Amino acid sequence: MPKFNSSNSLRVIFVIAVFILLFLSSIAYKHNQDLNESSKLVMHTYEINIQLERLMSAIKDAETGQRGYIITRNSRFLTPYIYSRDKVNTSFISLKKLTADNPTQQQNLKKLFKLITQRFISFENCFIYSNPQTYDKRKLDNHMFGGRILMDNIRFKVDEMNDIEKKYLQRRQKIYDQEISLSPVFSISLFLAALTFIILAYRQISRDIKRLIVYNKRLLISTRLMAESEIIGKFSTWQWDLDLDKIDYSDNQFRLLGFKPNEFVPEKDTFLKFVHHDDKDAVEKSIEGIITDQKLPFVYYKIALPNNEVRYFKSTGKLLTDQQGSKILLGINFDITDEHLMNIELRERNKELEKSNQELASFNHVASHDLQEPLRKIQTFISRVSDADKAVLSDSAKDYITKIEVSAKRMRVLIDDLLLFSRTNTTKKEFLKSDLNELFENAKSELTEIIDEKKAIIHKSKLPKLEVIPYQIEQLFINLIGNSLKYSQPDVHPEITIETEKVLSKDYPDLLDQNIKKFYKISFSDNGMGFDPQFKETIFILFQRLHSKTDYPGTGIGLAICKKIVENHKGHITAESNIGKGSVFTVFLPE
Amino acid sequence: MQKNALHILLADDDEDDRLFFKDAFEEVRVQTKVTFVHDGLQLMEHLMQPDVKLPDILFLDLNMPKKTGKECLIEIKRTEHLKNIIIAIYSTSSSEEDIEDTFIEGANIYIKKPSDFNTLKKIINEVVTLNWHYHTSGLNRDNFLLRLK
Repeated sequence: MPKFNSSNSLRVIFVIAVFILLFLSSIAYKHNQDLNESSKLVMHTYEINIQLERLMSAIKDAETGQRGYIITRNSRFLTPYIYSRDKVNTSFISLKKLTADNPTQQQNLKKLFKLITQRFISFENCFIYSNPQTYDKRKLDNHMFGGRILMDNIRFKVDEMNDIEKKYLQRRQKIYDQEISLSPVFSISLFLAALTFIILAYRQISRDIKRLIVYNKRLLISTRLMAESEIIGKFSTWQWDLDLDKIDYSDNQFRLLGFKPNEFVPEKDTFLKFVHHDDKDAVEKSIEGIITDQKLPFVYYKIALPNNEVRYFKSTGKLLTDQQGSKILLGINFDITDEHLMNIELRERNKELEKSNQELASFNHVASHDLQEPLRKIQTFISRVSDADKAVLSDSAKDYITKIEVSAKRMRVLIDDLLLFSRTNTTKKEFLKSDLNELFENAKSELTEIIDEKKAIIHKSKLPKLEVIPYQIEQLFINLIGNSLKYSQPDVHPEITIETEKVLSKDYPDLLDQNIKKFYKISFSDNGMGFDPQFKETIFILFQRLHSKTDYPGTGIGLAICKKIVENHKGHITAESNIGKGSVFTVFLPE
Repeated sequence: MQKNALHILLADDDEDDRLFFKDAFEEVRVQTKVTFVHDGLQLMEHLMQPDVKLPDILFLDLNMPKKTGKECLIEIKRTEHLKNIIIAIYSTSSSEEDIEDTFIEGANIYIKKPSDFNTLKKIINEVVTLNWHYHTSGLNRDNFLLRLK
């Protein structure tokens, strides 16, 4: 499984970045809010300022109008004075509203109002004492001067109020400045941090995407490979998600069931429908068994295709629990029809073979009992013809009896050899670790008579200990040595040399079983009459004889037996010879 | 018949073989009384008679109709009062299998029917004069099959 770092670290990076951005935006919001607040405050101060100026200018207008009227006595100059009273009232109402949140200013406004009222009373008094009818110079001077002082007081009060507003604004500005003075640096660094995180995340993502592409490619290749190998190997896979109860077949599963890939949507019981009715119960049981046993041992069953063709299947499965704890059944189906049919054929052939083996065994029985019995009787009856009986017979009759005797003897030898040959094959092959030197001595003692008679000399090197069928190896020695003694040169003492050598099978690729590495090569060389090398293969064939039976009695079975014995031991036997130059028989036996 | 004559029983379905056997025994020096049965069933019936005198040596052919020599051997060795009878297998067969099987089932000696009358006489002489106690105690697969010296 490839490991992708992005999944977890990216989540962390994104959460951090989102938090930073949220924080930044909340700070910006606060900042904006404060800016709004301060601009409102400025506006507020400015408005108060304007209204106070208006108030002042209205009073000044009234003062100018009053002066004009007093000097000229022209009532036209009174118009601004009359309007000024309304202007003052309007400004005053505005000011009252504007300073509603500030008790100090309200207090000041009240005082201002009192002063303004006093000023207007002073105006009225001036009018009265300036009027020619009621003219009083001293009182007019007094009121004019009092109006002057009141005016100064009003201006002072207005300045005071303006100052308060200005100070208030300054204080608020200071607090605001303190609050946001650090945030530009801080927010820029936070922004940079968030940017770094996002860049890191981007790098991780792009790296993972690159790896993902590589893995995707590999996955694609292996999926294709799998699909191809399923087709070639005649198997298919299926998955059953137990939690979702969803079943997926591989493409080849559809094909094996005689459909095109994804031709139908498989469900839980779909597969059972294809199972041959003979095997339905067993397959159903084994499917249930997977859930409890967590695995499915091989089941063998038949499948009936839509075209009624019967296929043989072998299936196995396993319960898989993934990291999330969901259970998935995985299964493989093998179409083993070809193997199955081949097996059936093989079994039939085996039966035939067994039958023919049995026939061979009964032939052996016939040979050993039924053929031997009449022969034995012929020989016994002849042996009962006593010398006294023979004396009364004619010469030709005596001759015939002798010929019957010889023929019967020859038939006995033939039957015995034939039996020996078939037994080297049919009797049980019990391999025992044996000392070949011992077996050789046994063989030699069997041949004592002829060895003594021919004054033969046998040179033997040390033979190995091998896993062999002891009596067969003994027979092999008897036959090979017996053969050399039998076909010795007339008037020459037979001399037989037996040599042993360890060899590697790879040095004899044509002769030896290459699955066995080491062999013992045992060669039997003699100084006998030898044979034409063109017969070096045929002499091992049953009943093949190179000499007439009158010169050398024999059945032509001895060397065939040797070959059979050596083959029983997974070995090999060869013969090399030239006429008059002796022969060499070489036996290879596996170590 | 003499009291101490050796009691011999031959179970063989072949008439000629019984004849050879009878003739050979007549020429043997030891005093013997030879009885014949023709097949396995007859053999078992003979042995199971309540007052029968059990043979000293039973010569048993293997290849007999109705009941084979091997079956008889097994039955005799499993019957309490018969199991001590000395049994000499007397057969044409010299197959390893037959020799092995009869040895395991407890036969005392295995004789391959000879193809020469003189040899038969020698064999019979050998068998009837054999020290059975000595032979049985030292019996093994190698000396089970009778070989004339």
